[in-house]
Amino acid sequence: MMKILVIVPAYNEERTIREVIRSVRAALPPTDILVVNDGSTDATGAIVREEGALILEHPYNMGIGATMQTGFLYALKNGYHVAVQIDGDGQHNPESLPSLIEPIIKGKTNLVIGSRYLSDGGFKSTLLRKLGIKFFTNLIWIFTSQRVTDPTSGFRSMDRKGIALFADEYPSDYPEVEALILAHKRGLRFQEIPTRMRHRQGGVTSIGFLSAIYYMVKVTLSISIGFFRGSR
Amino acid sequence: MNIRLTAIIGSSFLLLVIFELIRRKYLRERYALLWILSGILFLSLSIRTDILYWISNLLGFTVPSNALFFFSLLFLLLIILGLSVITSRLSEKNKVLTQKVVLLEKRVNDLEKSHGTTNHCNP
Repeated sequence: MMKILVIVPAYNEERTIREVIRSVRAALPPTDILVVNDGSTDATGAIVREEGALILEHPYNMGIGATMQTGFLYALKNGYHVAVQIDGDGQHNPESLPSLIEPIIKGKTNLVIGSRYLSDGGFKSTLLRKLGIKFFTNLIWIFTSQRVTDPTSGFRSMDRKGIALFADEYPSDYPEVEALILAHKRGLRFQEIPTRMRHRQGGVTSIGFLSAIYYMVKVTLSISIGFFRGSR
Repeated sequence: MNIRLTAIIGSSFLLLVIFELIRRKYLRERYALLWILSGILFLSLSIRTDILYWISNLLGFTVPSNALFFFSLLFLLLIILGLSVITSRLSEKNKVLTQKVVLLEKRVNDLEKSHGTTNHCNP
């Protein structure tokens, strides 16, 4: 029996976290759910305890990169075979979970990305987001010669190799794109599967115009310099 | 002459402040090295102004004070860059430390629960 851990990074998600935990349980009954509470100032932690999910709590807000890495460290230390990442804001549909982990369980690949854009295109995007996605798709293609339609998706699953890599090294802010290139550099394989995503149920989008620019510049810089870093 | 005296007093004061900060352990020797060096450099340049004239002639500065400004600026940039490196390293270490504490806290909570003792850690 494979041990599966669903990691939910959460920062002030009191409006959505209960529903996320319940629907993950409904979609994948035998899994453990770990919420990594990244210094929320609202009732997120209390709700997670009420629901009886596993919880790790950062004493202050450390950002999504460190939050996911805390989850990977837990998965590594506790011997999980598969780790799944799903957002705490409810935008990822847990019904896609079984198909998200299927390639991992069958040992076909090391990392699976749930893509909003592979399927019937039911997800409406702003122009800026489309441009950003296209930019990152090309960037990843340059470095890995693989086409990823939804490179910033935080709906992912990975095997033990992926867990070990990311527990050891995970980018700090806006980690998704860099993580893929890092995985490729360390010889891990990844693939996409179509998933449906809802527009966020609560909270506001974490990416405004300036942040989007910073996102692209930061990731490009860090990837380009990382290219000269070699493997440790 | 007046300027020279001011410069000597000023750089002596800088060295004194650095010394006092290290003595009170507000500044670690390791990070103070660049500051001590800069203090000594300023002091020697104000005592032996001819060195400054010589350098500025050698490098082709029209006014010696420009050479002084140029090198001070370069020095400050180096110190600030060094500080950025230190900050980056500290924040990485801080992250690793916090993650370790978070994982340990969970283990302690789980252990306490399994031993039936009361839980002190959760608010």
